[in-house]
Amino acid sequence: MDKSHNPESDNPSPVENETAEIAALSPVEETAAAQPAQAPQTPDPVPPPPARRNPAALFFVAAVVAVMLFLGFHAARRAGAGGPPDSLDPAGKPAPDFTLASLDGKNVTLSDYRGQAVLLNFWATWCGPCKIEMPWFIELQKEYGPQGLQIVGVAMDDASKEEIQKFIQEMGVNYTILLGKEAVGQQYGGVDVLPTTFFIDRDGKIVSREFGLQSRSLFVDNIKKSLSQGHAVQAQK
Amino acid sequence: MEKIALCLALTSCLAWPQSYGKKAPSVTMAPVALVTVTRGQAAPVGLHFRVAPGFHINSNTPKSEFLIPTALKMDAPTDIALTKTTYPEGKDMSFPFAPDEPLNVYSGDFTVTLNVRPLHTVMPGKYAIHGELKYQACDNAACYPPKKLPVDFEVKILKGAAPAGKNPAQSPHAHR
Repeated sequence: MDKSHNPESDNPSPVENETAEIAALSPVEETAAAQPAQAPQTPDPVPPPPARRNPAALFFVAAVVAVMLFLGFHAARRAGAGGPPDSLDPAGKPAPDFTLASLDGKNVTLSDYRGQAVLLNFWATWCGPCKIEMPWFIELQKEYGPQGLQIVGVAMDDASKEEIQKFIQEMGVNYTILLGKEAVGQQYGGVDVLPTTFFIDRDGKIVSREFGLQSRSLFVDNIKKSLSQGHAVQAQK
Repeated sequence: MEKIALCLALTSCLAWPQSYGKKAPSVTMAPVALVTVTRGQAAPVGLHFRVAPGFHINSNTPKSEFLIPTALKMDAPTDIALTKTTYPEGKDMSFPFAPDEPLNVYSGDFTVTLNVRPLHTVMPGKYAIHGELKYQACDNAACYPPKKLPVDFEVKILKGAAPAGKNPAQSPHAHR
C-alpha cells in the first residue's frame, strides 16, 4: 500500500554500494579485453580489491537452494500433471480398504462389496458440482445395480449428520452414503478436489479416477469397464 | 560456484510455483496500512481481498443453506471493539454445473470493512489485531475444502483529549 518516503534511501545501502562498484568495474575490464593492442597504461595506483566471497554465506545459499529443490521436486512429483496432490494414476492398484459409518448408523467396509463394481464418490453438501452428479448416480444405481454396481457416496463434510441426512432426502438419494473421515480421504490421495470419483472393479482394483464434474457418458463408460473386470461373486453384503 | 548457485536458485524458483500453485484456489489479502485512531472514537478499516482468476467463493449471504458463507472472524484485544463488519454484495453468477441456479459469489477483488473503536481505558500504543477469513472456493467444475486466511493489521491508538465534563478538579479551567 502506501509507503512513506524513506530518507535513508538517498544514501545507498552497503549492498547497493557493492553493486555499484561491480558495475563500475565491469566496463573497464571489457575495454581492456577488447583493446589489447593499446599502449600499456600506467599502473593503477589503487588496484581493485580482489573479489571476496564469504564461504559461509555461499554454503548457506547452496543449502537453502538444495532444500527448496528437494521440496519443490517432491511436491511436483506428488502433484503430477495439473491435478491435486498425489495425483499419480492409481489405476490398477487395490482400492484402499476402510470402514465408515453410514447415515443409519451401520459400519460399512469397502471390501464387503468385493464381487461388485463400486463407484466411490467423495462429495460434500457445499459442493455445487457434486449436486449435479447425484441425480445421475440415482439413475445409474437403478440401471446398473442389478448387474452388480454399488454406488457409495462419502460425505467429506463438516455438516452434522442431520444436515447431511436432510440434504440426501431432498436429493432423493437411493445409494449408500457414508460419513467421511479425513484419514480415509488421505488413503485416497488427499481428496482436495470435490467431487472426486473412483471406479473400482469387482476384485477391488481401481479402474479409473475422475476429478471434478465429468460428463454422464464418462461415468457410464467407467461403470461398464468396472463391471466387466474382476470376478463376479455373490456380494457379502 | 556463484553461477551454479544462481542456476540452482532459478531452477528451484521455477519448480516451486509449478508444483504448488497449479490447481490450488487462493484468496489473498492486501497489506493494511497502519490504522490510527483516537481512544473513544471509531475508525473504519477496509480489508481488501483478491480471489485468484478462475475461482469464486460464496458471498456472505449465499442462496443455499448448504453453502458455506464467506465470513470474517476477528479476535481483538480487550477494550478494542471491532464493530460494523460490512460485506459487499455478491454477484449472481451462473456456472456450467448449475446453469439454472445462479449462485451469489465473490470473484476478483472485494472489500470487507469494519470499525475499530478503542475504549477510553486502552493504553495508547500499537496493537496487533488478528483474525481470519473463512471461505470455500470452487471453479467451473469442482469445489475445494473450506479454508481460513489469516487477517492481520495494526492499530495505533492515540490518547486524544480527555472527555469533557469529567473529573473537573484536574481541569485547568477549574482554577480560574
